[in-house]
Amino acid sequence: MAYMTLKDIDVRYDKKKQVLKGLNLEVKEGELVSLLGPSGCGKTTTLRVVAGFIEPESGVFSLDGEDLTKIPVHKRNFGIVFQSYALFPHLNVYDNVAFGLKMRKLDKQQIDQKVKNILEVCGLSEFEKRFPQQMSGGQRQRVALARALVIEPKLLLLDEPLSNLDAKLRINMRMEIKRIQKKLGITTLFVTHDQEECFSISDKVAVMNQGVIEQFDTPENIYQRPETEFVARFIGFENFLTLNREGNVYKTQAGTVFTVESDRNGDSLAGTIRPEDIRIAGESEDRNVLTGTVGVRTFLGKSYQYEVLTAEGKFLVSRPAEEVYEEGSTIRLYLPESKLILVNK
Amino acid sequence: MKKRSAFVMIIPGLVILAVCLFLPLLRVLIPSLHTGEYPLSAYVSFFQDEYYRKIFVRTVKVACLTTGFCMVLGVPTAYFISRCGKKWRGILLSVSIFPMMTNSVIRSFAWINILGSNGLINRILVTAGIVEKPLKLLYTDFAIIIGSVYLFLPLMIVTVAGVMENIGDDMMEAALSLGANRIRAFMKVIFPMSLPGIIVGGILVFTGTLTAYTTPQLLGGNKNMVLSTFIYQRAMSVGDWDGAAVISLIMIVVTLAVIKGFNSLAARLDKRGGDHA
Repeated sequence: MAYMTLKDIDVRYDKKKQVLKGLNLEVKEGELVSLLGPSGCGKTTTLRVVAGFIEPESGVFSLDGEDLTKIPVHKRNFGIVFQSYALFPHLNVYDNVAFGLKMRKLDKQQIDQKVKNILEVCGLSEFEKRFPQQMSGGQRQRVALARALVIEPKLLLLDEPLSNLDAKLRINMRMEIKRIQKKLGITTLFVTHDQEECFSISDKVAVMNQGVIEQFDTPENIYQRPETEFVARFIGFENFLTLNREGNVYKTQAGTVFTVESDRNGDSLAGTIRPEDIRIAGESEDRNVLTGTVGVRTFLGKSYQYEVLTAEGKFLVSRPAEEVYEEGSTIRLYLPESKLILVNK
Repeated sequence: MKKRSAFVMIIPGLVILAVCLFLPLLRVLIPSLHTGEYPLSAYVSFFQDEYYRKIFVRTVKVACLTTGFCMVLGVPTAYFISRCGKKWRGILLSVSIFPMMTNSVIRSFAWINILGSNGLINRILVTAGIVEKPLKLLYTDFAIIIGSVYLFLPLMIVTVAGVMENIGDDMMEAALSLGANRIRAFMKVIFPMSLPGIIVGGILVFTGTLTAYTTPQLLGGNKNMVLSTFIYQRAMSVGDWDGAAVISLIMIVVTLAVIKGFNSLAARLDKRGGDHA
């Protein structure tokens, strides 16, 4: 049963540019779902619709069976962590965290107890009296998280919360966020453009492109079985060829016959494969073979990576360091049917 | 070395200030401390005189109320302007300082036309039958305050808008997300964050109103004198230069006290300490 639902959400800026086009998303209670995509894909807009900062032109946002589309931000009771953290500079850590509770008019004792408790969970107990500008990026990040969590929100929204931290801290913080999220069992929406960050933290990932969700699945499935060419490209596939169905087999534009294992159906699909899965074709093989010229060779330590120019375009091929092919030579690439992934174009 | 060369830069300004401001000021003010039977007796007798005291109280009252009204009107306006797009922000700021481009005498005459017994407001009120006789609006404290608010509001708006421009939208959004409605979010977050600008604006408006001459002269008339018009009267009409010097020093002290007061208020409300950006 879906806990949070976005149904047919349309958002337009200035009556012209459509940012979200009939977006649908269902999130189960307690799940951490990431919205992943390049800048301008609408992921932050989606988050802002959920938060209530943007009212969609049409569509329904509901939580726990309740339609919240027209409910103003301050009545939604969602915790939001902003990219900039948006800590109040005139308040110390304690007062920043207590802000939401004061707005709810809780009595002093309750506020004190809740604030102390969440500061402890976030490892901030010793910083109570500090002001935000006296703290490091990672500490500020935790204050922002504590401030969003202390109000016991029905939903936690994180807008690229780690993008301002350095690489090492980022890895620590994402473990921390995951730990706290699981501990409190809070349904979470996480916006990011960083694939690794997103895969490591999420229960499910929604890959977005131009205002729609291209694929919504577990990180494992997205990584192993991307559904569309966009998703495949976004998660790092670089080798693509167009395959047109003819009877039981597929043919490239040049007419080479390909057989595939994938259960995806369609008259015209794209095939993709990782550089390390491409082999060199034996004499006898004539299916799933591309002939090409070796271009730039890059030494990667354990292996060489080659750019191979074929009739289907440029392919990246990774071969062990013992095998060396000179630039300009002709090689035949074999794309094993078990490794070839079919995606919608 | 660097400090010394910086010091050289302020020498010309310092010389002009010393020769044209500090020296004449001291020459006028120091004798005023010794006039009369005992030191400061001129000041004591100033505050013993009920008429003088009334002028003093009126001056401070007008300046305080003007500052207050400018804050109440200017701060929300400044916030609105600071949230507009770059283009509109420029247009609105130019519009808000537009009144400053006309001479203050002309601006005060405009108010005479509006507030006078045969002025715009009274004509409307009488024609509509709300009042029988024209109200006395002109030549009152109220007229001075209205004129001064009109005169100094742009200063408040421009100063505060400048500070508010640097407050990101995320501050308001964060406050909203934590359960504050727009008004509370403004009062609890935007207002305290803009205090430095509001304090500077307040000081500018207060000192401006306290020392303004044309507006209280034209809108207050001779019966509603304030310290600045009173100085003129003592010096020019009566020839009492010592009396004028006494009032001058009182005005300087009030101004400094108010600036000090505003600053310590700011320090109390803004506990961030000295290391904030």
